[in-house]
Amino acid sequence: MSTVLAIDTSTSQTCVALVENGKVLFNKSHLDPLAHGEVLPKLVAQALKLTSKIDLVAVGMGPGPFTGLRVGITFAQSYALGAGINWAGVCSLDAMAANIREEDFIVSTDARRKERYWARYKNGVQFTAPAVSKASELEKLGVQIFQEGDYFPDPVAIANLGLSSSSVTEPIYIRKPDAYPLPDGVKFRAMTALDLVSAVGIEKVVYGKAAWSSAQFKEEFAKAPKNANYLAAELDGELVAYAGIFFAADVADIHTITVTDKHRRKGIGRELLKRMIDWARVKKADAIMLEMRLGNDQARPLYEQYGFVEISKRENYYGPGLTAVVMRKELK
Amino acid sequence: MALVLGIETSCDETAVGIVDDRKLLANVISSSVDQHVRFGGVVPEVASRAHLEAMQQVIKQALIDASISIKDIDAIAVTAGPGLIGALLVGVSSASGLALALDKPLYGVNHLSAHIAVDQLDNTNQLQPAIALLVSGGHSSILQINNLATDVVVKGATIDDAAGEAFDKIARLMGLGFPGGPLIDKQALAGNKTEINFPRGLTAPADLEKHKYDFSFSGLKTAVARYLAQTPNYKKADVAASFQEAVVDVLITKSLAACKESGIDKLIIAGGVAANHRLRELAKQRCESAKVELRIPPANLCTDNGAMVAALGSLAINEGVAASEIGISADSAAPVTQVVWK
Repeated sequence: MSTVLAIDTSTSQTCVALVENGKVLFNKSHLDPLAHGEVLPKLVAQALKLTSKIDLVAVGMGPGPFTGLRVGITFAQSYALGAGINWAGVCSLDAMAANIREEDFIVSTDARRKERYWARYKNGVQFTAPAVSKASELEKLGVQIFQEGDYFPDPVAIANLGLSSSSVTEPIYIRKPDAYPLPDGVKFRAMTALDLVSAVGIEKVVYGKAAWSSAQFKEEFAKAPKNANYLAAELDGELVAYAGIFFAADVADIHTITVTDKHRRKGIGRELLKRMIDWARVKKADAIMLEMRLGNDQARPLYEQYGFVEISKRENYYGPGLTAVVMRKELK
Repeated sequence: MALVLGIETSCDETAVGIVDDRKLLANVISSSVDQHVRFGGVVPEVASRAHLEAMQQVIKQALIDASISIKDIDAIAVTAGPGLIGALLVGVSSASGLALALDKPLYGVNHLSAHIAVDQLDNTNQLQPAIALLVSGGHSSILQINNLATDVVVKGATIDDAAGEAFDKIARLMGLGFPGGPLIDKQALAGNKTEINFPRGLTAPADLEKHKYDFSFSGLKTAVARYLAQTPNYKKADVAASFQEAVVDVLITKSLAACKESGIDKLIIAGGVAANHRLRELAKQRCESAKVELRIPPANLCTDNGAMVAALGSLAINEGVAASEIGISADSAAPVTQVVWK
């Protein structure tokens, strides 16, 4: 004898089901990617009118957009704590795949930023673990895809999966937070002529023909500290990143933020960007501009997160065929 | 008399407090501040993940500390705003889950008012009417508290940075670390507060006309930044003490002016910055000479905690305020006048 309250908030839909010994007493969903927090308690309150006792709370643990995902998980855990019962976490993609009768297929949900959360299933069993990929790359696999919109995690499947196997105890985030704790020992300091041998070496690797020369760096340094600010990040005595900003009149211009390949995605570039912005604020700049190579998708979300907006494109800026995207952030 | 469990997750503290009417039974705080130190500020996604990880354990610990069972709880209170939206949602969703499981009322309450309500814990004195100086990492305002649960009037607020924010930024400029408030407070103890005459924002006669009870700390921040840049061998302790004095002086001067004008002889100072030693010291001196009763909650209850949320929930119950509806919206920018969510 068991009554399961099933919840999923891993997609743009909030869904709740009540399953008593395999019989579905309640199954409702509401589509709104920004309202999980409001909708979930209301749906659960409706479901609770149909029963006096819940034995288990089953919840989709993702993958899914973080904010909505956490609503379902923390609600389920707290409900279980309040009711003195157990909760069981299941993979939301499994609950989406449960009703699809194909030999080999992919289910995918919206991960935003033009990316998809997905997992591949063969004969009803998860074949590859949940991952996040660009939509275009997913299509290249040539496997039939069942997408969020046409399909959603089925809360009844969540209830059944929760009863049979409750192996997922942590949220399936896949992505790391955009911010990373900086690696231990990273030091930020002013960039000087002593960094130039390393910096020019990094430039050649990162930018190829568009690399700056030693002379170009020196020209920039000469404007500091009044009109320019160049910072270096070093790790174990080695130059791993640097950034520079120039300011005259009203608008500050970030001239470079460069992180060596090995040390990307660690928060070093973010910290440099923040320090550049802080400096521009101290200088009372009205705005900050920067140019970014078209296709430099790694850095773009970071810039956008800090309020930079694309204002134009400049063709052949970095050499023939290399277009620059110009972005601007208002400070006033 | 009611047993109220309060949940606070508006920033980087996952906190749960339990009160029995005005009696504090438990106050458990798990902070993710260590994870933010390297950024010099709170990172929303890092904070939100930490809330989810810590939440169940913090609730259980609070129940153990209070020596009660979850079934004994009469009502749940939760910070529904203002704060970081992703962080607030963890608290609100947890509270909703608990309230529905227990079939008990839920009170979504204002984080800022809760900072003031904490004054009521283990304290039988009448709070209102009072002028409140609310100073924290995200807020700096002067309020007139006619009734904390139902009638709060904003007299003035910061027009740029919050006081706590200014502390954080100056601490970062001096390389002291994060969070800046306690670090500057500590440095300042050994410094000379009159060494550098930093500007007092919005105190010029022209500013006073338009911004009588408002604050501005961005000019002060720029002045300190300029001083640091122009003074190669500056003394950290003196800069900290002089900067702190400039902030504290304006905060108290304007608060007492509000007391005088409104004829209210009670000042309550609340929020994280109320833990600052110099603020407490100067407030005590000036309130004594102005014959204004000063109320400052104990330092450990000034920073974000769950007990203050439970205290405000308890106050709302005693004032007969209706419980919040199921499915309240967390509101990152809720005004201080929105005390209890409908």
